[in-house]
Amino acid sequence: MSLAADLATIRALMRRALNEILRVPGAAIPGVLAPTIFFLGLTAVFGNLTLLPGFTSDSYQSFLIPVSLMQGAGFTGAATGVNLARDIEQGWFDRLLASPSPRPVLLAGLVASASLRSLIPATVLLIVGFSLGVHWPGPGGLAIALLVTMGMAIVAAAWGTTVALKFKTQSASPLMQAGILLVILTTTAYAPLELLTGWLQEVARYNPVTQIVDAARQGFVGDVTWAETWPGLVALIGLATLLLALALRGMRRTAD
Amino acid sequence: MTGGLATNLRVVGALGRRAVRQTFRRPQLMAPILIFPTLLLAIQVGGAGRAVDLPQFPEVNGFLDFMIAGAMVQATMLAGNSGGIALALDIEMGFTDRLLAAPISRFAIVLGRLVGTAALGAATAVWFLAIALIFGAQIEGGVGGALLIVLLVTLCAVAFGSIGSAIALRSGSASVVQGLFPLVFVILFLSTAFFPESLLLEPARSVAEWNPLSFIIDGVRDLVISTFTGTQFVEGLAALALLAALGLGLSAAAMRGRLQRG
Amino acid sequence: MPAIETRDLQRVFTGDVVAVAGVDLTIERGEIYAFLGPNGAGKTTMVRMLTTLLRPTGGSASVAGHDVVTEAGDVRRAIGVALQEAALDPLMTGRELIQLQATLHGLPGDEGRSRAERLLAWIGLANAADRRVGTYSVGMRRRLDLASALVHEPNILFLDEPTTGLDPVSRKAIWEEVDKLNREGTTVFLTTEYLEEADQLADRVGIIDDGRIVAEGTPAALKAEVGKPHLEVVLADGTMERAEEILRRFGNPLPSKDGAALVELEHGAAGVAPVVRALDDAGLAVESLDLVRPTLDDVFVAKTGYHLEGSDEETSVPEASEN
Repeated sequence: MSLAADLATIRALMRRALNEILRVPGAAIPGVLAPTIFFLGLTAVFGNLTLLPGFTSDSYQSFLIPVSLMQGAGFTGAATGVNLARDIEQGWFDRLLASPSPRPVLLAGLVASASLRSLIPATVLLIVGFSLGVHWPGPGGLAIALLVTMGMAIVAAAWGTTVALKFKTQSASPLMQAGILLVILTTTAYAPLELLTGWLQEVARYNPVTQIVDAARQGFVGDVTWAETWPGLVALIGLATLLLALALRGMRRTAD
Repeated sequence: MTGGLATNLRVVGALGRRAVRQTFRRPQLMAPILIFPTLLLAIQVGGAGRAVDLPQFPEVNGFLDFMIAGAMVQATMLAGNSGGIALALDIEMGFTDRLLAAPISRFAIVLGRLVGTAALGAATAVWFLAIALIFGAQIEGGVGGALLIVLLVTLCAVAFGSIGSAIALRSGSASVVQGLFPLVFVILFLSTAFFPESLLLEPARSVAEWNPLSFIIDGVRDLVISTFTGTQFVEGLAALALLAALGLGLSAAAMRGRLQRG
Repeated sequence: MPAIETRDLQRVFTGDVVAVAGVDLTIERGEIYAFLGPNGAGKTTMVRMLTTLLRPTGGSASVAGHDVVTEAGDVRRAIGVALQEAALDPLMTGRELIQLQATLHGLPGDEGRSRAERLLAWIGLANAADRRVGTYSVGMRRRLDLASALVHEPNILFLDEPTTGLDPVSRKAIWEEVDKLNREGTTVFLTTEYLEEADQLADRVGIIDDGRIVAEGTPAALKAEVGKPHLEVVLADGTMERAEEILRRFGNPLPSKDGAALVELEHGAAGVAPVVRALDDAGLAVESLDLVRPTLDDVFVAKTGYHLEGSDEETSVPEASEN
């Protein structure tokens, strides 16, 4: 298939993914509001952790908001997987598979929409956060945070897609959602690395998502530097590549 | 009461056994109720554990000791939600109609379901006590304290179960009950589930002050982090009684409403 | 080169479930071929293998000259597919669906749009084209599914139970459309559990049971194999012996049934008139006279020992017809 045809397919699949939000009133609201509600709750509960010596910020909200952005991206990506599982169960996916569209193009169509949709909960979160005094990260910091959010959505969508293709049922949804949440929270989510305790500190040290969270945290906490940015980008690209490869393999194996 | 005491007790027993079987026979349903709060517990202990160094933090052996109570209560809320979903499914399926057509007390139906939730509550308490001991927490209240914890947590499950039942009876829809699941977390944020009241920020702090959940959690927590303090225990019990009364009252009203509507 | 060809095609699922146990097929271009069989016979599995959705576990298959496993992309380009579940998105409109299908097949935007218009008009859905598919009746959805399978003008069309659940009027409409397509040169491979569908539409029928083809041929040939038509005569005064005596002259007698005398007629309907004249000449008053032809169900019973499910079409619940 020509490049123009492939791009048209990706666009068409992305447009279809938007129908869920645009054509079903209220369907999108839980996913859009949930990260903000958790943000508000967690900052109210754990806000005073900033009193600990060694905490890198005096504003827990500024510290936490990148985590909430990742959470929003994670839920959006997981939703892609849930929708795919439903499409598989109902036979819609066969329509895509029986067409001559190359599998990578189909995958790109599924996953690309997640990255754009992740900007919706992100926007709500940032508006609420800034109005509550979250530190302004500057245009560079904001751009990086949003880029990382979109990247994380792709990672989550690739994960959701892989799980959906493996189990072919919507009852695998909790695995999609819990998996992503787990990976985001076992990082410097609640506190800086040095202040984490026990097993969590060790896991966070080696969890690539920690780099991603730290990259998104720039500007909200501390300055935006290349040294803080590149590890997150590498982790993001690495995870995305790995999970997209798994998802593609899953897609190719649907005929087995 | 329709049917006489002996009959109704038998019915409650039978329905209770069914509820317990339903819960424990399908581990994939039970897992989220136990696994999720346990994972969250592990993450929060690791993430916020240094809080014990803060001057305002109460005297504890470890952050885990502090957090166990909140995790238990969270699990019972999820158990109550799950019991409500099961009852709603029974209603949707028509099973409840069959029970209502029998000469038994209307309330036996709700109580039977609550027996199942209570069993789940007790299992939750035992699970988290085991987790606590395995990972180095100390139950200051001793064996007696542990038993009182099991009691409180079981009653807690019954209280939340009754609220879940009320919602199930009122709505007759499993998806409505399921939709309230996120509310569990919101209410927990506004209590002393995860952090001491003195360290919460507004508006959580003010809400937590009078949130019955805080009293319940503090009651359980007291048995873990200090030797038995009568007042905390009684306050917790009173809050539980309040919630249970509310839940059972709402359930009765919802049941009456359902019967009237036919 | 045949349109569809399979050699010992097999599919075994996990747990050693044999869905297709070795099928040889040769379907020429321009044929309408029907796979007839009960639920679970392996029809859908066959279609899914031929449309590259399922990998064979044994044997080989080629569609439009391309191997379904090694040249799957080429197969997909050449075929149109309308599967059992009429896989449509309820949130999309009919027009959007056909346009999406056009995009999936690499048709440029305007080409896709104009073909969608033509197809929607052809299939009678022009008025409903901008309504969401969720509001369509079952008949409308099937027609939309069929139309979308044609957007790239494939030479080979796969239809998996195209009229299951449709009322008789909608069913006939689909048959007409399929027939029209076939006359324009499209090869059609369809699966069905309806005898009448196979009988009416197909050039050749493959009767499939338990993953194997148990009989194959034109409907007429298959039925002729099983028996000849027979005449059932009931006389007004109920006397069978005199009737049987006369009928014997025209063909093999068969055991009588419910007071009717039966005789096999070598030449079917053509042999009726002489019988009537003979009975009339003998002064016998006829109460009823029925010419009974063998059906594909008779073929099925002969080959498998049991009746085909769905052969009793009167019991199927008709869908409300579309507005």
